Parts: sequence; C-alpha cells; structure tokens
Amino acid sequence: MKLKDLRETLRDFWGEFRKVRYGMVGLVMFGLFLLIVILEPVLIPFPETGRRWRDITYWEDNPKNAAPVWVNWFTRKDYTPQAVLDKPEISERKAANTQMVEAVFTYNYKYDLPPIDLLLRATGKGLLNLAVHLERPDGLSIELTKKSIRLSGEAPVRLSLDKEASGAVGDFLKTYEDPDVLRGVSIFTVKPVEVFFARAEPGILRNPVPLKGEYRIKLTCVAVGSGAFLKEPALTVAGRVFGLMGTDASKRDIWSGVIAGTKWALLIGLLTSAVAVIIGVFYGVTSAYFGGAVDLVMMRIYEVFQSIPLLPVMIVVSAVFKPSIWTMILMMCAFFWVGSVRTVRSMGLQIKEEIYVEAAHALGASRGRIIFKHMLPQVIPYAFASMALQVPVSIVYEASVSLLGLGDATIVTWGQILHDAMQGGAVLQGIWWWIIPPGLFIALMGMTFAFVGFAMDTILNPKLRTR
Amino acid sequence: MEKLAIKNIKLHYFTSKGVIRALDGVSFDLRAGETLGVVGESGCGKTTLGTALLNMPTPPGRIVAGEILFDGLDILKLNEDELRKQIRWEKIAMVFQGAMNCLTPVYTIRKQMMETILTHRKMTKQEAEERIIKYLNLVGLSADVLRRYPHELSGGMKQRIVIATALFLEPQVVICDEPTTALDVVVQAQIINLLKQLKEQLKLSFIFITHDLATEAEVADRIMVMYAGKVVEIGTNEQIYGPQRAAHPYTQLLMAATPRLRQKVDQLAFIPGTPPDLLAPPAGCRFHLRCPQVMERCRQEEPPLVEVEPAHTVACWRCGHE
Amino acid sequence: MSEVIFEVKNLQKWFPVKRSLGQLLRGQRTWVRAVDGVSFQIKKGEIFGLIGESGCGKTTTGKLIMKLMDPTGGQMLYRGQDVTHLSPEALQAYKREVQMIFQDPYASMNPRFRIREVLTEPLVIHRLGGNEQEKLALAADALTKVKLTPPSDFLDRFSHMLSGGQRQRVATARTLILSPRFIVADEPVSMVDLSTRAELLHMMKEIQQDLDLTYLYITHDLSTARYFTDRIAVMYLGRIVEMGPAGELIDHPLHPYTRALIAAVPEPVPGRVNVIKEIPIKGEIPSAAQIPAGCRFHPRCLFATDECRNLPEPELVQAEPEHLVACRRYKEL
Ligand SMILES: Nc1ncnc2c1ncn2[C@@H]1O[C@H](COP(=O)(O)OP(=O)(O)O)[C@@H](O)[C@H]1O
Ligand code: SF4
Ligand code: SF4
Ligand SMILES: [Mg+2]
Repeated sequence: MKLKDLRETLRDFWGEFRKVRYGMVGLVMFGLFLLIVILEPVLIPFPETGRRWRDITYWEDNPKNAAPVWVNWFTRKDYTPQAVLDKPEISERKAANTQMVEAVFTYNYKYDLPPIDLLLRATGKGLLNLAVHLERPDGLSIELTKKSIRLSGEAPVRLSLDKEASGAVGDFLKTYEDPDVLRGVSIFTVKPVEVFFARAEPGILRNPVPLKGEYRIKLTCVAVGSGAFLKEPALTVAGRVFGLMGTDASKRDIWSGVIAGTKWALLIGLLTSAVAVIIGVFYGVTSAYFGGAVDLVMMRIYEVFQSIPLLPVMIVVSAVFKPSIWTMILMMCAFFWVGSVRTVRSMGLQIKEEIYVEAAHALGASRGRIIFKHMLPQVIPYAFASMALQVPVSIVYEASVSLLGLGDATIVTWGQILHDAMQGGAVLQGIWWWIIPPGLFIALMGMTFAFVGFAMDTILNPKLRTR
Repeated sequence: MEKLAIKNIKLHYFTSKGVIRALDGVSFDLRAGETLGVVGESGCGKTTLGTALLNMPTPPGRIVAGEILFDGLDILKLNEDELRKQIRWEKIAMVFQGAMNCLTPVYTIRKQMMETILTHRKMTKQEAEERIIKYLNLVGLSADVLRRYPHELSGGMKQRIVIATALFLEPQVVICDEPTTALDVVVQAQIINLLKQLKEQLKLSFIFITHDLATEAEVADRIMVMYAGKVVEIGTNEQIYGPQRAAHPYTQLLMAATPRLRQKVDQLAFIPGTPPDLLAPPAGCRFHLRCPQVMERCRQEEPPLVEVEPAHTVACWRCGHE
Repeated sequence: MSEVIFEVKNLQKWFPVKRSLGQLLRGQRTWVRAVDGVSFQIKKGEIFGLIGESGCGKTTTGKLIMKLMDPTGGQMLYRGQDVTHLSPEALQAYKREVQMIFQDPYASMNPRFRIREVLTEPLVIHRLGGNEQEKLALAADALTKVKLTPPSDFLDRFSHMLSGGQRQRVATARTLILSPRFIVADEPVSMVDLSTRAELLHMMKEIQQDLDLTYLYITHDLSTARYFTDRIAVMYLGRIVEMGPAGELIDHPLHPYTRALIAAVPEPVPGRVNVIKEIPIKGEIPSAAQIPAGCRFHPRCLFATDECRNLPEPELVQAEPEHLVACRRYKEL
C-alpha cells in the first residue's frame, strides 16, 4: 500500500515534471553526464588516465600544447594530427641465436604542416641492431638511423626519430638545399622530421613545400644472442593537433582528463551538496521551530561555523594529512551546511506561523510531525535549488584546493586541470583548449542541477503552480 | 442627464492559460448625481469594470471593444497623455479595493497626500496644504492626522484619507471598490454616511462596487447586478429591493441568500455550484448551470438585456420574452 | 439540553507589549488585554455565538479554548473537568474531542496535502482508525457527511483544486473525523461566497443535529449569527457586555454597544438611500493596551454618566431570564 502510494506520487510528479521544459533539458543533461561516466572506458583513448594522470612517461608520445584536431576545419593550412600506426607489415626470420624482424609502417601524409616527430616503440631483449629507413612518395629512401641497443631483460624500446635522424638530415639537406642557405644555419636547430616531409628542392629549409602521399617507414632489427627478440613494434606520428580537445603542456590528453573527471565532479558535487543541504535544512527548521533559547544557541553555533573560512582549513587539513578526495568532501560537508541555514530558518519561522500549522497543533500533532510533515516538505524545493547551486561551488572549492597543489594526486578532476592550466600559463599563451573544456563542463554541470532544481521548485511549490 | 455611457465594453485578460473574458459586453449609463451600485460575487468582474472606466486595465488585460463616453467624449480614443490630463483623477477617480492598506508605512500622511497633489497640480506647498486640510475636514478628519504614520491610524481613518485623496482633483465621478468590506460594521456605516454626504455636497456621481446586497441597498440609487462578466439586471433601488422583487433569477436567489438581521429566517436560500470559469464560460445564458428556472433555450442562446419596465433591464429568457 | 459542556470563568489572556527603554528603566509593564475576564457557559447541543468587532478578543478566546495558547488567568471547564492546565496525555485526549474550523479554509490546510492526507492526518496523530484502508474509509465517510460526493472525486485533489465552499466543507470534514463533541468555528463562512454561505451553514447545522455536536461560532457578522446561533454573547474590548438568546438579544438589545452594532447593520430593503443613518455611538474603538477605567465602553457611550466613568466596571447581571447585560443604566434606556 505504502509502496503503491509512493509509486503513484512519483508518477504524478513525473507527469508534472515533463511539462517543465528546462527541467527536461536539465534532466537530459544529467543523463548525458551519467552516460559519460558509464561509457568512460569506451570514450577515452588513454585507459589509464585516472591512475596515471601525473605520470609523464604515460603521455610522452603526445605533442605538447597541441590544439584539438578540429581546428583544421578552420585553418587554411592543415596540421598533422596525432596518429598511431600499430599494425605494420611484419616479416620475421629466425636463425640460431638471431632473430631478424622487418616492420613496414605505411603512412598517408596529406597535410600542410608536418608532424613534429616519429616515435618508434617496441619491446625487446638482448642485443638489438636497429635500422630505420624512410621511403618517400617521390621515391627517395633515407636511412634515418642505425643503432645498437643492449637490453639485459625484456624492456621497452623507444626511439624518437626526430632526435635519431639528426645525422641523416644533414646529408639530405646538403644534397638538396642551397649551400648559401645552409651556411647560415646551425644543423642543431633543424627539425629532421619536418624536413623529411617536404619536397626535396632548394628552399626546403626556409619555405618547405609539403610532399603529400604515401610514406613507408621501415624498421629492421637484428636481435643477436640466445633469447634476444623484438616484438610489437608501433609507430606514433606525433602531430601538431591532437584528439578532441588537444593536449596540455605536460602532453596530457585533455579530453581523457575531462571525461575521467566527470565521475569525480558528480561525486564531489552531489555528495557534498546533498549532505550539506540535508544537514542545513534540518538545522534551520529545528532552530526555527523551537525558537527561543534553542534558536539562540543554534544560531550562535551557526555563526561560529559561518565565520570560519573553509579554504584555509581545507588547506591545513590537506597539508597535514595526505590529501584525499574523501577528506575534502568531509570537510566541505562540515562547512557547507551553513549555506542554507539562514534562508531555511526564516522560511521555517514563516511556516511556523501558517494557519495550517496552527490547525495541526489544534489537532494534537507532535513536534516531530509538524517539523517532518508540515515544515520540511515546504523547504524541500528550496533545498533542491540550494543543492543545485551548491554543486558547482563544491567543484570550485575542490579546484581551489587543487590549485594550491593539495588536490588528491590519485585522481584527475576538472579543478586540477584548470589549476594546471593556470600554472602552465594557458591564458597568456592562448591555449584555450586547456581552459575551456574543464570550465565548460563545470558550467554545464552547474546548469544541469540548476535546471532540475528550479523545475522541481515550480512543481513542488503550489503557489507557483496553476491548476 | 448621462455622465457616463458605457457601450458593449469588453475587457479580456490574455494569460498564458488562455483568454479570461472578465468583461464581456457590458453596457450601462451613469447619470449625473446618482450612485450606481455594482453587485456580484467575487470574480464576476467588478474591479475590472472600475479599471476599465479609467481606461487603465491591469496587465495582461486589454479593452478589446466598446465605448466609454464621458459627457459624450469617448475616453478609449484618447491617448495616455490626454487621459492623464483630462480624465483620470481629474474627472473620474477611483478608490481601489484595499487601498487603505496600501499607504506607505514609512511616510507621514502629509508627505503622501502632498506627493499625490503636487504630481498633478502646479501649486505651492502652502496652497497644497490648505487644499489637503479642506478635504480632510470634508471627510471628517482634523489636520492632526497629517503628521501621523499609517499604522497610528484606525481602518476607518485610513479609508477616509484614501477617499479624501481621491477627491483632491475635484472629479465628477468617483468609483469606490469595496470601500467598506474590511471594516467593522460601525465604521462601515460611518463611511457610508460620509459617502452620502459627499455626494450631496460635491454633486458627485458614484459607482459603488460591493459584493453585499444589503450595503448596496443603503447607498445605491440604481443597482447593476453582474454575473460572470455580464450584466444580468439593472434596476432602481425600489425595483430591486421593493416588494415586487428583482426580476432575474440570480438576483432573486442572491437576495434570498442574504441573511437578515431584523427578521427571523428559517431557511436561507443558496445557489448550488460555483460561478463559471471565465476562461471557458458556458454557452447560452451564463447562469444556466445554476439556475433553478433553466429552459432549453437558455442552454442555446444568450439572453439579451431588455427593458421589462421603465428603467429596469434584465437579461433572462424568462423576463420580457413572453 | 441544559447540561453545560463548556464553561469559561473569568478567562484572561494578556500579551506583553514591547517596552521602550524609559519604561524598562522605570520598571513599567504594559499589556494588551486581549481577553480580560470572560465568563460564559455553553450548553450541550447548542450553537453559541461570540460576536464582536475585530480586535475585541474573540479569536483569542477561541485559541485559548483550543489550547493553542495558555491563559493568563481564569479557568476553563470541559464537561465539568478543569482543562485550564493539562498533562500531555490529558491534552491529547482533550484535542480529540474539541476541534476547530478556521476562518480561511485554504490557509488551514497544508497546500502540499491531498484531501486524503488532510482528512487522515487527525487519525494518524491520534493513532486511530486502523490500517490505511480503514482510515481512508473514514475519510470518505466524513466527506459524505459534508456532502462532497462521491468522495472518490475529492480524495486525491489538492485544496487549491476546490472552490471556497468545498474547501470549508473539507475543513469541516477534518474536524468530524475524530467524532468530536465540541467544535470552535472561527468565522467559518466569512471567506465563502454569499451564494454558497447559506448552504454551508445549513450543512453545519444538519451535522450538528445528526451528531449531537456543540458549536462555538465566532463571528463579526450579526446577521449570520442571528440565522445560525441559539445564543449570542457580544464582546467589547476583551469582555462580554451582553449575552442572551439570539432572537431576543437582537430584537431587544439592552447594552448601548449592542444597540449601536445592530443599528449599523445594513438591511436589504428599499428606501434608505437618501437617509443619513443614526449610529448611536461615539468615536472609535480604543486600543486593547489602554482599556478605559470604569465601564470600558464609557468613552463611546451616549448614555455615560460620572458613575459609569468612576465606579468599578459593571458586571454581567441577569436582566431577563437567560438575558444578561453589563451596563449600569440598561433599565433606564
Ligand atoms: N499573539 C499576539 N500578540 C500580541 N497581541 C495579540 C496577539 N493576538 C492578538 N493580539 C491582540 O489582541 C487583541 C484581540 O485580538 P483577536 O483575538 O485577534 O481579536 P478578533 O478575533 O476579534 O479579531 C488585538 O488587539 C490584537 O492585536
Ligand atoms: S435565461 Fe434561463 S438560465 Fe438564464 S437566468 Fe433566465 S431562466 Fe435562468
Ligand atoms: S455602564 Fe454607562 S457607560 Fe457603560 S454602557 Fe452602560 S451607560 Fe454606557
Ligand atoms: Mg479575528
């Protein structure tokens, strides 16, 4: 019977809620955020984003401060986007104590501004004799590097061809560029990969013309010794534009960061504001209902809490203890409850004087009943609105603490991304893709809750409701 | 002679829920020196009528049709500026419902009255004060109240101040909207006496709006009964309250529902149901859902106002349609 | 019919007035004497009217009876038992038998409650009425009693979906659900349209007779009081000045204040338009914080003498059988 009632109430509520357009918009947005949380593993290209956000080696193949890929739609010259080629044609031969591997990567270059690096990765063991050749669409073949590496156990191999090819580029330039130009240039300032993606003709240094077409990068490896091998070779074309939201100064993929931060934002926002507002509403209503001395004492306690600035406290606590998201949430709950007390109390004082409360008294209703059945429900719409507004505040507070480097280092939050952007001088350098995505997500989440909150307010508050 | 002639006035409120036909074709005259009483249940359009006569509908209301002739001049054709200079408060004044509770609590009565008069007339403070005192005396107050604040005054005194303020600019027509409703019975009687005196002294024409038929009997020369945005009956005091009784079934029932103090009534009448929703008033006669004398024709056709005897018009298929 | 169900003896309720610093220093205390020595007996099965202008203390008297506030002095007896001060248990038992209908039916119901919740609330409070289904049956039953039928049409509505008259019926149904004996009705019809007022009063009277109830009917409106009540007490500045059978009191008023009230009431009859009505009373009602000495009505009384001003306040005395008046000079007038 009770359950049926509840179901009916919810159905009625839903029926009304559907009619409030912005409420539905808020709900859809909330649904999208939930979807993001659920689909996170599918959405992000870097599955270990959450755990290894601060591990620079995890991000080292990415370009630094790269704009999102889609800026190419708006620029006259297209930038090379990041690409990972992990399915080369592999041929392998084995002899006693030697393994020979040849991996050919095919890359179709069709941009105007060349990649900044080509990164070779593999896993190997023993003595590895490596050679890398580049075959260009114009038929030229260049030996980029030739190198021996000795690995005692099984270990990763990483070659930055931009670094490795500094010798090869000198020869290449000597062949094609005007000697007069070359004389004025230090070979150390030349970026080999940029040169190799340009037409082989004079002017290649100053005014390179991109050479579009199919490039083949051939890796040859002779692994010598018993048990020596090379496997899983992959080539990363380090682009100038990267992913949906670009990268930051630490080469991190902002899209992955923002998506991985969604669940934390929801958690921080919802948990903190819910707990804080529930406490605040109870506190305010109780204070209002009892009035007199109880009210006086409760309001003094409230004022004490209100006058303590939360941020310094959070900083101290985070500095003394290991900063963790949970202590932060706890701290915010312990202080944010004051936010709604004053309004709730004055609403309570007003409701207390309502004739229907007097009527309930006349019927013999207990204090508990008057508080829970008559006063609290009136305050709930306000509580929802208050909660909605508290959500972004909590997110910003978490961000502020993160801004001082006292955030939870084991996770990534929108606040931390913003903090890093400030630290990294994103504003001065115009790296807008570092600031806008986390900022926008914070704003959108705030709006989501504001919409839902106000819609509930219109429904639950019959004075605003018309027949 | 007619002071005001109202012809088929329609004032509709254009709300988000639809069009509320608060006045739906109302016609009547107000003669010089008479008091016309307007009666009807709450929500029938009495206050709306008052705002219409000032051509000052409350948003989202709009006058969509009709004429309001003041001494033959159609005030609906005047622009805002002309209205303010020639008609509003100058010729037609209104004492709004509950106005006595809307005096600003933080200003003295002097300040509030002074402000009203100086926004309309160019005169020195001295002259203004003299005029204020003249009107205060006229409504039975001494100059003493000028330095008081509203909360220091009783309801009756506040109502007198509001009436004095409405009279400042020497209007010819005064509309009083429920001027006695919130007052106690003794004060109510005093205010009614005051209005009667003012009518004599200043040769005013009054429109006296109330929901109470008994009060109306004390003040109104002629009575206009409204129901759901329409006029259902207009008659003289004698025709409505006299022994031959009002003609419209609604007026009759309202009369029978009014409790009498001076005689023992065993059973008061009542009207079943509630007034119709003006968003979608019923077809035919608007009273037909509650009328005990309803006929088939009432459900189909709307009864026009017809004269059943001199000075007595009724909108009912049972009156004057034999 | 003559058994007394409720008796009030010299009931007082004084509210402290906020003091100025000067008064505080001088140790002065002023009081609003809202109810200042009220005594009456209500007989079982009658409708007792308490009449007066706004501010005369009639609502406060009602609230004292409802135990919504504590009296400053005096005594209240319900069915012979002293109910001036009650233990929590006795108070709950009292509140089951004594109910109140408020002036504004809309304000007296929680706007968030459906009618079913409004009606079952008293049962929940007093842990009566069995399970949910049985409670609902009682609610439906109460709706039938106030002629809101079929009840299923109303149970799931909110009060703002009802008309004024229907709301006041629901408010009445709520008081009936605990099967009370005594109901305080404070201006129950003043916010209801005239066209349905009589219907409501008629229904209240029917219920009263069917269920053998007693009403205290509080109003400022003499006309409905005459129509509805058996006996009337007229209050002026916190005190009863005249009390008697309704018809008798109105047809033959004895107290100058009652006479003035009656003279002021308009009557829907022709021929009064050009007459300035005599209202036999002076000035305006004084504040309850400054009640005149002597007969409290004397500054407004047309018949006041020095005796009225200087001698102690006149008590209620029996002028006719059942008809009491508090005036020194009623015999001469
Ligand atoms: N809670 C209160 N505090 C102070 N004064 C009050 C309070 N309630 C009523 N009064 C005063 O008591 C007097 C009588 O009020 P009330 O009982 O409401 O009369 P009525 O019902 O006739 O309007 C008034 O002067 C009013 O201002
Ligand atoms: S027209 Fe018909 S329904 Fe209307 S009042 Fe007359 S008799 Fe009644
Ligand atoms: S006692 Fe005197 S002052 Fe009081 S009512 Fe009677 S005549 Fe008037
Ligand atoms: Mg009252």
